[in-house]
Amino acid sequence: MPAAAAGGHQLPLYPESPFEGTFLSWISNSMIMVWIGAGLIILFCRAATKKMSIVPAGFQNFAEWLVESLYDFFANILGEHLVKRTFWFFGATFMLILTVNYLALIPGVGTIYREGADGHVIGFLRGGNADLNMTAAMSLTFFALWLFWSFTEIGTKNFFAHIFSPKGDFSGYMRLGMVVMFFLVGILEVLSIFIRPVALSFRLFGNIYGGEQTLEGLMALVPKWLAFLPALPFYFMELLVGLVQALVFTLLCAVFLKLMCDHGDEEHH
Amino acid sequence: MISILAASGAEQGFFETFGVNWPFFIAQLINFILVLLVLKKFAFGPIQEILDKRRSRIADGEAKLEEIEQKLADSEKEKAALLEKANDDAKRLIGEAKVSATALSEKKSQEAVAQAQTILSKAQEAAKAERATMAAELKQEFGRLVVATTSQVTGKTLDARDQKRINEEAVSSLKN
Repeated sequence: MPAAAAGGHQLPLYPESPFEGTFLSWISNSMIMVWIGAGLIILFCRAATKKMSIVPAGFQNFAEWLVESLYDFFANILGEHLVKRTFWFFGATFMLILTVNYLALIPGVGTIYREGADGHVIGFLRGGNADLNMTAAMSLTFFALWLFWSFTEIGTKNFFAHIFSPKGDFSGYMRLGMVVMFFLVGILEVLSIFIRPVALSFRLFGNIYGGEQTLEGLMALVPKWLAFLPALPFYFMELLVGLVQALVFTLLCAVFLKLMCDHGDEEHH
Repeated sequence: MISILAASGAEQGFFETFGVNWPFFIAQLINFILVLLVLKKFAFGPIQEILDKRRSRIADGEAKLEEIEQKLADSEKEKAALLEKANDDAKRLIGEAKVSATALSEKKSQEAVAQAQTILSKAQEAAKAERATMAAELKQEFGRLVVATTSQVTGKTLDARDQKRINEEAVSSLKN
């Protein structure tokens, strides 16, 4: 049961360290959730890949289905060449976001807490993606990888040409005008490129944090013994939101990459 | 959420409002990168490897199947061609055998006819020779009888010259 119903406190916007005041104060409550999520994924993958055989069975079957489905999904967006190179990022990010989102719905997350030094409550666990540090870490990692993949796929010249060079066949004054116009559009494009990680971070953070707030708010509307009832339908919605947000984050990353590497990918084909 | 943001943002800085700070951020960044690397090595690597292996095996199998089907079709064609050739050969041989049998039968019947004619002519010659012999013997006997009769009728013994003359006369009268 979330904290609002249990103790009447509101879920803060920021993560906190349940080990505040100790040498482990760098560990936040959302970080613990990410570790649990990552640990579960790694355990699952180890179990699935321990005794691999050409004819799959059990965990291997499920893991292969999952990986192959994701691979095909991203291959449709990125193309065969790019997906071979980048799937490890998209697959892992999707699985991590999805697992951490679902883990945040388990009762106890945000409701098991202790009182801090100044009397405010600190939850031991917090939704991993309800922490802007985590979502920013993911989107900035993607941004760095996007730059690396773009430069290596299409080259520095094409990279800047893609942003600034005029598209279409113009001549004379029209061409001059287009050069100026596309240069200005290029500046906007550069701005949008820099805004992408910010938008990615806040979209995921906002949706997950908003979902948790909704659940807590709804629980606070009724007496404690009935707190589960208004939140119950929204738990199903949060299951959907968890999946959709994992898809949106990775899908947008894939689209951003495809937009820049499109020419390069065609050349490879 | 907007009200929370507005309330907190007014009092604190942007990063403080969202609890973004270097230790948490760096720790989450390291977490994320580690998870990516671990999953790349232990999950996606082996799974993709086995998927690729299976794909290539399936592709190989398909290629082999196509090859086998092609070989089967070729073999069927070859079999049909061989059967056709065998049929043609058999027909040709039967035809040749028929022609040969007809020729042989013709030859044999001709030989039989020739042989029969030979036998017939030999028989005729033998009969002719026998008849001649018999005629000669008969003439000789007739001459002897005529001489004997003449001798008895005349009551005298005929000498050799008379016997020869009577004999020749009797024979010549037979010829006539």
